[in-house]
Amino acid sequence: MHTRQCAARIVVVLALVGVAFGAGTVRKDLRFKVGKRPTISVDNQYGPITVKAGAAHQVIVTAILHSDKVELDQSKSGNRIGLVSHLLPGADATSGVVEYEIQVPADANVTVQSETGPIHVEKLRGDVTIEGTNAPISVLDGADGHVHVKTLNGAVSLTNIRNGHVEIVSMGGDVTMSSVSGPFVKVNSNSGKIQYDGDFGAEGNYDFSSHTGNIEAVAPAYASIDVLARSSNGPVQSDFSLEPKHTPFVAAVGSAFHGTLGKAASSVSLFSFSGRIHLKKRQN
Amino acid sequence: MNCQEFESVLPDYLESGHTSEQQAHLSSCSSCAGLVADLNFISATARQLQDAEEPSPAVWNALEIQLRREGLIRDIPIREVVPACSSSLLDFFRRRRTAWLVPVAAALVIAAGVKLYRPFGAGDTNPVARAVAPAPETPANSGEDERVLSTVAARFPAQQANYRKNMEDANSYIRDAEQSIKNDPNDVYSQELLINAYEQKQMIYDLAVDRTGEQ
Repeated sequence: MHTRQCAARIVVVLALVGVAFGAGTVRKDLRFKVGKRPTISVDNQYGPITVKAGAAHQVIVTAILHSDKVELDQSKSGNRIGLVSHLLPGADATSGVVEYEIQVPADANVTVQSETGPIHVEKLRGDVTIEGTNAPISVLDGADGHVHVKTLNGAVSLTNIRNGHVEIVSMGGDVTMSSVSGPFVKVNSNSGKIQYDGDFGAEGNYDFSSHTGNIEAVAPAYASIDVLARSSNGPVQSDFSLEPKHTPFVAAVGSAFHGTLGKAASSVSLFSFSGRIHLKKRQN
Repeated sequence: MNCQEFESVLPDYLESGHTSEQQAHLSSCSSCAGLVADLNFISATARQLQDAEEPSPAVWNALEIQLRREGLIRDIPIREVVPACSSSLLDFFRRRRTAWLVPVAAALVIAAGVKLYRPFGAGDTNPVARAVAPAPETPANSGEDERVLSTVAARFPAQQANYRKNMEDANSYIRDAEQSIKNDPNDVYSQELLINAYEQKQMIYDLAVDRTGEQ
């Protein structure tokens, strides 16, 4: 009997809490008809944004506004759609939160901005531009498009990006790439770590640089690369037996190497001012 | 005609053309041909440099002082130093008092480069000594930086410290890269780091302006 009363009280309390939290939230469902390669921009200062590939010719938006201190401004002009979380006076990082779930055509070009995020983009083949002050950023299963990311402190994760034109600028956020390949992959970090795990394929240019952040690249034994690594004030190490090449700069032993592996189809540059650089061989 | 005889008539050769005998010697003597080619090259290059980009007098004075201090040049009339030099070259050098410093400076730079340049290969085992000057103390952010930070602080006080730290990090990167370039002006990779550092700073500006401008 005592147990039943206790359980009932818990249920009541949870229900009240749920009502209290739900009372301030507003759900908005939007649907837009679009043509080929539409452009969708989302500006949401506080709150998560998830963009996934959905059906062609339509954009479906689900937005949950956490209070009446924030409004959703929408616009559509031709093939362009804009979504802005408009903060009203008194809004803060709690009351100004809006959660976005957006489905777009796979060939859509998407621009996303958020201070807190997190930001997640998945299965797109169009161009993706993401700016996040502190937002964790993840891009998954992309192909054939540009992926441009700018962040101050948010961690950046790119997974399974093929034939991409990737450019990332990060100050303190760590950048992690797994199975990322393309004609162009560039990461410019300040103190954030750069981690790459892939095959450096597609006969591309891979350019990773940092000020103080460590750079770690893991590649398989079959990788075909011309790799130049140098840290002005940090250790540099390679697990591979590279065919040595000369470098046109003066460097102390252990702070630089230049060599090729296989047919040297891709160019890999690993530069840091004082970070540690390690080219690892993948253990399978 | 031998080399000594050719050198004795070199000023006339440069100034007023050549005789068949001089030309015959030049055709058969690579040493004298090289000398003539060098003189013509120096003269032409000095003119081009002078016309293309005239450094400030302070640069020339500093270079001259340094060369005098090292005993590489002395206060001797030009005519005494190069008695065999052609009058046209002398006129050129007289007209442009310091023009001769151009090839001299170029030669010194090349000599220093040859002396210091040491390609580094993956198979090398001996460390190469490198003088690295210490980076200067961290200066404050620039006035423009502070204005941007003030704007951020006014609109988003909670973000001020975040932006300030990142601005300082970007400036620190710029200083380190600049110092590396000062240590080795020909280091293209340090130049690349500097470009990246400025790209980071530009991003901070962009983010700050975007956030403060849209509200």
